[in-house]
Amino acid sequence: MKRTLLALSLAALTSVSTFAVAAYPEKDINGIIAWGAGGSTDTVARSVAPHVEKILGGTIVLSNKTGGVGVIATKFVDSQAADGYTLLMNAENPQLYKVMGLADMDYSNFTPINVLARGVPVIVARKDAPYNTIKEFIDYAQAHPKEVKTGSTGPGGLTSVVLAMINTENKMELTAIPYDGDGPALTALQGGAIDVMPAVLGATLEHVKAGRMKVLGVVDKEAHALLPDAKPITADYPVYEKYLPWGPFFGVFAKKDTPEDVTAKLVDAYNQGSQDEAFKKLLADRGFIQLNIAGKEADDFLKRWQSVTSWLVFDAGIAKKSPEEFGIPKP
Amino acid sequence: MPETLQYFLMTWTQPQLLFLTAIGTFAGIYIGAIPGLSVTMAVSILISFTFSWEVNNALALMAGIYMGGVYGGSRTAILLNIPGAPSAIATALDGYPLAKKGLAGEAIGLSTTISTLGGFFGILILAIAAPFVSEFALRFQPRDYLLLAVMGLLLVGSLSGGSMAKGVFAGALGILLGSVGLDPLTAEERFTFGYTDLMTGISAIAIMIGMFGVSEALDQMHYLSMPAIKQRLTRIVPSWQDVKKHLPLGLRCSALGTFIGALPGTGGDIAALMAYDHAKRSTKNPEVPFGEGAKEGIVAPEAANNAAVGGAYIPMLTLGIPGDAVTAVIVGAMFVHGLNPGPLLMIERPEIFWFTVGTLTLATIFMFIFGMTGIKIFTKIVEWPKTVLLPVILLLSIVGCYAINNSVTDVWWMLGFGIIGYFMKTYGYQLGPVILGLILSRLIDDNWRRAIISEQESVVGLFTGIFMSPLSLFLFLTIVFLLFSQTKLWVKLKTRVLGRSAKDVTIDPTQV
Repeated sequence: MKRTLLALSLAALTSVSTFAVAAYPEKDINGIIAWGAGGSTDTVARSVAPHVEKILGGTIVLSNKTGGVGVIATKFVDSQAADGYTLLMNAENPQLYKVMGLADMDYSNFTPINVLARGVPVIVARKDAPYNTIKEFIDYAQAHPKEVKTGSTGPGGLTSVVLAMINTENKMELTAIPYDGDGPALTALQGGAIDVMPAVLGATLEHVKAGRMKVLGVVDKEAHALLPDAKPITADYPVYEKYLPWGPFFGVFAKKDTPEDVTAKLVDAYNQGSQDEAFKKLLADRGFIQLNIAGKEADDFLKRWQSVTSWLVFDAGIAKKSPEEFGIPKP
Repeated sequence: MPETLQYFLMTWTQPQLLFLTAIGTFAGIYIGAIPGLSVTMAVSILISFTFSWEVNNALALMAGIYMGGVYGGSRTAILLNIPGAPSAIATALDGYPLAKKGLAGEAIGLSTTISTLGGFFGILILAIAAPFVSEFALRFQPRDYLLLAVMGLLLVGSLSGGSMAKGVFAGALGILLGSVGLDPLTAEERFTFGYTDLMTGISAIAIMIGMFGVSEALDQMHYLSMPAIKQRLTRIVPSWQDVKKHLPLGLRCSALGTFIGALPGTGGDIAALMAYDHAKRSTKNPEVPFGEGAKEGIVAPEAANNAAVGGAYIPMLTLGIPGDAVTAVIVGAMFVHGLNPGPLLMIERPEIFWFTVGTLTLATIFMFIFGMTGIKIFTKIVEWPKTVLLPVILLLSIVGCYAINNSVTDVWWMLGFGIIGYFMKTYGYQLGPVILGLILSRLIDDNWRRAIISEQESVVGLFTGIFMSPLSLFLFLTIVFLLFSQTKLWVKLKTRVLGRSAKDVTIDPTQV
C-alpha cells in the first residue's frame, strides 16, 4: 500500500515536471570530468565551476572519472537521465571515438553547454636540435628518414593529428615513441630521449621561456601573444590554412534531450560564469584561446573539427573506420 | 639568506599556516592508514575545496596530507596486515609478525622514528641539491627505466617467502593483470573482451585492497575463537641503541627513496620495495629472520617511502615536472592558484620553494608527534573482538575502493581478488609479488617499447646503447651482479679470494 502511494506521488511529481524544472537546480549537479586531476580539462572545469555556481544558485559536485581516452566518463554521462543533473566535462576526444573504433558515440549524443576554450598546438624541439623553425625541421626530417624521434600520445591525440597534417602535405618519416600524455613526453624531450614534439602551447610555455626547449613554430594561422617569436606554420606553408585553426578544446556537455529550459539555464550560467576575469586570466596564462560558445555556433565548431580531424587521421592510416561510415562529410 | 629563512619559517610563525599543516598531517595519517583512501585522492579533492583559499594555505594543507599519508600506510600494515597504501606493502611483511608477538607498539614506534628520519633526509636533499638531482633524474632514458624495472622484478625473490616458483607465478600474475586495458602505444584493447569497464584496466588499488584487506579478513575468520593478542605497550619510543644500530641502513634507504622519488614515473611504492630488498640482501645476521619480525624489514621501507616525498618535490619545484602521482595533482593545484610551476618558478617565486621546504619540515615534525602520541589508542584496535573488527575492515575496504574512481566495478574487482587472494594465501602463495608485478607492469611495458622503438627495433642497438651510456651500464652491471651473486660459482670465488670459509655464506634459494 505504502509503495503504491509512493509510486503515485512520484507520478504526480513527474507530471508537474514543468514546475520542477522552474526550480532547477533543486539538488546538486554532478560534473563528471573525463580526465585526471591536475590536467588541462580538470583545471579549466574546476576553475569555471565556482563562478557558474554563483549564477546558477546551486552546487556542482565535480569528480574525475578517467580512462579509455575519456570513453568511460562519456559513456557514464550518456547512461544517466537526461535531466541536467549529470554534466560531462571532456576534451576533443569523443569526436574521434567513432573512427577510432573506441565507442559508437560522439558529441552529437550531447548538447553543448559551453565549449570553453581551445588550445594552440606548437612544435617544440630539444634545445640542441639542428633546426630552429618548422621548415628547417621538415627539411631535416625528410633528409634523415626515421632518425628524428618524436613523442606520441596515442592515435588520435594532438601529436598524431599534427603529424598527420604534416605527413599529408610534406611527407616524412619519423620514429614515434609512445608516452602517456604530453607531460611525460616533454620531460623525455628535456632528457634527450626524443627530439621533437608537437604539443599544446600551455604545456610547453614555461619550459620554452626558461630555455629548456625551443619552439619551432605555431600550428595556427597567426603567431601567439605568449610566444611572439614563433612563426605560424602558414608563413612557410600556406597550404596548411585549410586545416586551421585546429587544436584541442574543452567543454561542458549535457545529455541530448535534456529539457530545453534546463539547458538554457545552464548555457546562460556557463556563459556568464566564463566571463569572470580570474577565469579569463587563467585561460590566457596557459595559452588557451577562450571560445565561450554554445548552441548552433558550438554545433558548427564541433562538426567542423570532427570533419577535419576524422579525415586527417583516416588518410594518415591511424583510424580504424572510415568517416564515411558515420556520414562525416569531407572538409 | 635572511629572506630564505623568513620564507622557510613562514609556516612556523603564522598560526593559521601552522594549524593547517598540523591538521593536514593528522588527517593524512588517517587517510593513509585506511586502505583505499589514498593521498592522491585526498589531494585531488582538496584542489576544488581550497579553490578560493590563498595559495600558501592550500599548499601547506597538501604538504601535510602528503607527508602524513605516506607514513600512515604503515599503521594498518603493522596492526592488521593490511597496508593502507602500496608504499606500505613491504612494511607489513615484518611489521605484522611483530604485532602478532605483541610488539605492535614497538614496531610503530620504530616506524615513526625511521619515517621521520627518512622524511628529513628527503627534505634535506630537496633543500640543498634539488637542481642537481633533477638534472640527473632527467637523464634517465627509457632503457634506464627498463633496467630499473628489471631490477624491480628481481625483488620477487625477496617477497616470495618459502617457494620461489610460487613467487614467480604471483609476480607474473601481477604483470598479466597490469596489461589489461588499452594498449598505451596503439590504444588497441588488450584482454578487455569488449567491455568498456575494462578499457581503463583493472584498478591496481582495487586489487591491492582486495588481496590484502578482504583476503586478510577472510583468513582471520579461521581464528575467530582465538583470543586477541595482548599488546605490550611498555616500550614505544625505540631505544637509542636500536636507532643507532639501524641508522646506517635507514640512511642508505633514505638516499635510495629520495632518488627513486625524484625520478618522474617512479614513486614511494617502488622505493619501499627496493629498500626492503636491499635490507634483506645487506643484513648479514638479523636478530630475527626476515618475514618473522625483523626490525630491518620495517626500517628500510619506512625510511625510503617518506624520503620519497621530498624526492618527488625535487623535479616538481625545480622544473615543474611531477615526481609522482601526488605531485602531479599538486602541479594542477598550483596552476589553479595562479602559479606557473616550471623551471622559472624558482626564479620568479623563490618564496614558494623555501616555503614548501619549511612546510614539509614542519609536517615531518607533526608526523612524529602525532605518530608517537596516538599509538596506545591505535594498538587497541588489534585487541577488538574479531566479530567487530572484521566487518569494519570489510566496510572500510568497500567504501575506500569505491571512492578511488567512484566506480562500482572496482568494488566487484576488489571482492573478487579478495577471494582469489584468500585461496592464494591458503596455499602458500605470497601476495606481495602480485602487487609488485602490477606496479612494474606498466613501467616495463612502456619503457621496453620506448627503448626498442628508439633503436629502430634493433636489440643489438639497445645493448650498444646500454654499453655506451655510463648510467645504463651501471644499472645493467648491478642486475648482472645481483643475479651472479646468488650462484654457486660466486660463492666459490668469494671463498677463494677472501679465504673465508664457505660456511659463512650460504645460498638462500629465495634470494635470486
